[in-house]
Amino acid sequence: MSDPIAIGIDLGTSYSCVAAVTDPGAPPQVLPNEWGERTHASCVSFLDDGTVLVGNNAKKNIITNAENTVYSAKRLIGRFFFSDEVKKAQAVMPYEIVEGPNNSVRVQVKGKAFAVPEISALVLKEMKAIAETSLGHEVKQAVVTCPAYFNDNQRQATKDAGRIAGLEVLRIINEPTAAALAYGFGRDISQKICVYDLGGGTFDVSILEIGKDVFEVLSTAGDTYLGGDDFDDRIMTWLADDFLSKHGLDLRQNKYCLQMLKEAGERAKIEVGRDGVADIFVQGVCQSPEGEVLDLKQHLETEAFNRMVMDLVQRTFKVCDEALQSARLTAADVDAVILVGGPTRLPIIRTGVRHYFQKEPMTGIDPDEVVALGASIQAAALLNSQAAVYGQASYLLDVTPLTLRIGTVGGFTERIIDKNTPIPIEKSKTFTTSRDGQDKVRIRVYQGEASKAEECELLGEFEFTGFRIGYRGEVQIQVTFEIDSNGIVNVAATDLETGQKTSTTINLSSGLSEADLQTAIDANSEIELARDVRAA
Amino acid sequence: MDAQFLIEAETLATVLDQIDYFNVLKVPYSASPGDIKKAYYRESRSFHPDRFAAHPGAELREMVGRIYRRVNEAYTVLRDDRKRARYLADVTGPDRAKKLRFTEAEEAAVKEEAKKKIEEQFGQTPNGRRFYAAAMTEMQASRWEPAARALRSALMYEPQNAKFREMLAQVEKELEKGRSKGDQFKIR
Repeated sequence: MSDPIAIGIDLGTSYSCVAAVTDPGAPPQVLPNEWGERTHASCVSFLDDGTVLVGNNAKKNIITNAENTVYSAKRLIGRFFFSDEVKKAQAVMPYEIVEGPNNSVRVQVKGKAFAVPEISALVLKEMKAIAETSLGHEVKQAVVTCPAYFNDNQRQATKDAGRIAGLEVLRIINEPTAAALAYGFGRDISQKICVYDLGGGTFDVSILEIGKDVFEVLSTAGDTYLGGDDFDDRIMTWLADDFLSKHGLDLRQNKYCLQMLKEAGERAKIEVGRDGVADIFVQGVCQSPEGEVLDLKQHLETEAFNRMVMDLVQRTFKVCDEALQSARLTAADVDAVILVGGPTRLPIIRTGVRHYFQKEPMTGIDPDEVVALGASIQAAALLNSQAAVYGQASYLLDVTPLTLRIGTVGGFTERIIDKNTPIPIEKSKTFTTSRDGQDKVRIRVYQGEASKAEECELLGEFEFTGFRIGYRGEVQIQVTFEIDSNGIVNVAATDLETGQKTSTTINLSSGLSEADLQTAIDANSEIELARDVRAA
Repeated sequence: MDAQFLIEAETLATVLDQIDYFNVLKVPYSASPGDIKKAYYRESRSFHPDRFAAHPGAELREMVGRIYRRVNEAYTVLRDDRKRARYLADVTGPDRAKKLRFTEAEEAAVKEEAKKKIEEQFGQTPNGRRFYAAAMTEMQASRWEPAARALRSALMYEPQNAKFREMLAQVEKELEKGRSKGDQFKIR
């Protein structure tokens, strides 16, 4: 009996894509939906009839059904309510973002509060449905990708989204690594490559060494607050300021106008990138206090656009510097550069990359599909029962992007596992009790590069109990920190004298509890995906 | 499942806590960075957990996981020149049994050593460093007399600094050379 088919899903901020290796030994294929679309907007619209519309058609509802249409959920997933990104989203998104338990985020739609993974789960549910329709049978397993620079909270939340959608998530793999795999798979090359991944909401750079069948990530760096959407924002700001000076009205004050502005900005970016000029015209963008209907009309040239976004482009090359430095390489040492993500089609990005690496980036690889293709190769590899005997066709040796730390006195942190350490990896640290009769040991675990705890991301407070009670300093507990192949952190402790594992409770985590997950899984299975009805 | 491979894996898993990182990667103590990378790739092809992801045996998967985490740990230490040097000294020394895993104490020691080396190169006190830097500039321009003065000032602040003494000796040698040459033109 042949192995079941697992799919690879690129769960993007703006667009998602699903692919699979349909024939063993054959190249992976993108699975299109029934309309032939190969990428699908990561947009979820809750309709009046109780069904949920997901994909490119749902995008139109951002204006017509604004409060009930959720998009760019990836910007929120795994984040704390008080983080800058969430605050920014609250100010501009037409859907309601509220606080959940433990500083988590909830999206309020039609009177119901959804955890962010539940929203992403609806996108994954649609991808699963597209795959099942295309393949003609049920799909239960998937590899889902995430930005290389995602922290543990964000990865765990992505994995939860998969579970909620009814998928067994075989692995969470990093987007640049997936792209490298799609590029180098079966090609028997030995090269140092750089993956420059500029998506809708995040930017990642990974430097890999490919040694025939081995893909070793040497270093990774990123900015989870930088993406194509920020390029749209620049155009939006320029349009809004210009409109304000002409008509005395700030379009940004009204969420409805803001959405139209956003759509105009996105369209303008694509047009100016493709044609060198963009003619922006939004009819009836708003009404003046006197009742006059106003239009938004503007003309954008490449030079003006480039000036608007130059600082964003420069930020990407600072990240490239960091990745190269961690890998102890220079730009000249890189043999090939792969571009990933729609925004890399912009001429200003291509020029920048060409200039920085002194070589042409690889073309012939679709920047919108390469990640899903790589994910599907990995999905097939993980289900390959022959690999145990014959070995794998390719080996992904990835790294953890952020330094794992624990809280110490005075609000500082101590390093446990450095960033760019190959995974899976473990590190142990011994703690002794500080009080007589102490029955609990509490450790706060963080990820980040700062030595101050408040500048790092809190993963949770781990509480260990069930060890021998004694005088202070007498009882020794060995805490083992493990980072698995998903880049997800596991912490366990043992009483050194008895060798007994202690009991572990996690507090202060913003993630969903097992009980919440079960409820979400049940709720998701009840939700019906709207049949996307279009004119033939 | 290849019986030989299974035996090798089980043996390795059993002795994992009694061998050092060089043994784990199956390289000699004299291995070069290139050798270490090749060995890492070779061991990854054997023991990467993804290879056994579809294998039904949970025990086997757990065992391979343990082995591979140690392979990664070994590679992380041995590919770093300073850590490798320190580790090599640790495991060929008397405390070998206790130092098989590179702990944070060792990491801190490596950092300390690196810091000390830099301080020895350029001075431990601000004034010592300043005079030494000035001496370097003078030496570059072959102005030996000012260089010697700067180095003597630096040594006032750091009489124990071996590097400063070494430099001063070098400068004084240059001065000697200059003096003897100069004598040739003295009117006898």
